[in-house]
Amino acid sequence: MTSTDEELVARSIRGDADSFNELILRWERPIYALAYRTIGREEDARDVCQETFLRAFRALPGFRGQAKFSSWLYRIALNLCRDWMRRQRRTPVVQAPENVDLMDLAVAAEPSESIEDLVARKDLTRIVEKAMARLPEEQRTAIVLKEYHGLTFQEIADLVGCPLSTVKTRLYQGLTVLRRELGHNGKRP
Amino acid sequence: MTDTCVYGGDRDDALIAYLYDDIDPVERARFDAHLGACARCRDEVRALSGVRRQLAQWEPDLIAAGRPSSLGGPLRRPWWRELPAWAQVAAALLFLGVAGGLANLDVRYDRNGLSVRTGWPARAQSVAAVPAARPAGTAPAPWRADLTALEQQLRTELRAAQASATVVAAADRQATSRTTSAGDSEMLRRVRALLDESERRQQRELALRVAAVLRDVSTQRQADLVKIDRSLGAVQNNLGVEVMKQRQSLNLLYRASQRQ
Repeated sequence: MTSTDEELVARSIRGDADSFNELILRWERPIYALAYRTIGREEDARDVCQETFLRAFRALPGFRGQAKFSSWLYRIALNLCRDWMRRQRRTPVVQAPENVDLMDLAVAAEPSESIEDLVARKDLTRIVEKAMARLPEEQRTAIVLKEYHGLTFQEIADLVGCPLSTVKTRLYQGLTVLRRELGHNGKRP
Repeated sequence: MTDTCVYGGDRDDALIAYLYDDIDPVERARFDAHLGACARCRDEVRALSGVRRQLAQWEPDLIAAGRPSSLGGPLRRPWWRELPAWAQVAAALLFLGVAGGLANLDVRYDRNGLSVRTGWPARAQSVAAVPAARPAGTAPAPWRADLTALEQQLRTELRAAQASATVVAAADRQATSRTTSAGDSEMLRRVRALLDESERRQQRELALRVAAVLRDVSTQRQADLVKIDRSLGAVQNNLGVEVMKQRQSLNLLYRASQRQ
């Protein structure tokens, strides 16, 4: 039987390192995905992910369970992403390899996926990444949290600290920009 | 149906809530009813749904490949990445210096060009052994024998200095220092001479190549002129024949007209 986040957190606070490791295993992928989609750089996303868990571990004794553990982690990660972008003073640059090696692609292919489908998927991924990178940080964050992490409008509002209507507005504006960008790239939505 | 939206309320909010199905049932039913009458909203919901479908396919390889599992290691940056840039540069220079020293880095510029060599060659036991260690077919540098002799002389003097009294040893060391500085200036003079010679050789080669190119161009030009001359001659011949024929025709015509 798997333990809930709250149980693992409670055990971690009592000094059970294995429980915290379990939390890392459970959440490292979503946190890394959030960081990567927000800042767009592999190595920096990994650093943000590591730093998120490090800070969470240090601050764990002060975690009183007012929010879900995942929301708490997301907040730490988003703050770190924001700090990173402030330090960089620029919009994220997504690492999109220009010369795609088909052999590399073939390794990454799903068993049921043809190489043509795979190339098309990679192509779309690159276009989406570039379009996302052009969005303002607030809109990109709202879209990432909603699309890829399935948070409710209210959860996003709590996380980023803005009214619920602002979250919806950011989503609407972001999606509208993406519609235009993706349309320009010949990917008519 | 109309292209102008008349939705009562915050239309963009409602549209986004509807799109993500994060909407209360009453509001949902209301917007559903509105969509039936509003082509603009209907189109926008369809288009933004398409955008969402595309976004759903954005699964970067790094995430798909489970890259974050590499976090299994220590959750810290490498310690050296925490150092300030100047300290990293200083450390790099120190490392290069030590590495160069250990590798016995030897950079030379001689008549064979620039050469970089590392490693500790086997120490020559005697002066005679030095030429033997040289690769076959390589001409000995003119100053190498002098240098070897100088080295031997220095070693002898140093040994003598160690054996003698302290005062005498100090005097010997001064003499050795003078000899070394004299050897250094001699070496500098030779290097300069080698550089000058190399430069002169390069200039000679350049002049030869320029002359060869000019000669080729001139030969080609002469050949082209001859060809053009021949072509012009042929054209002139053809023209002359044509003119003669025209003249004959005109004469015939003139005579015929005279007869009439």
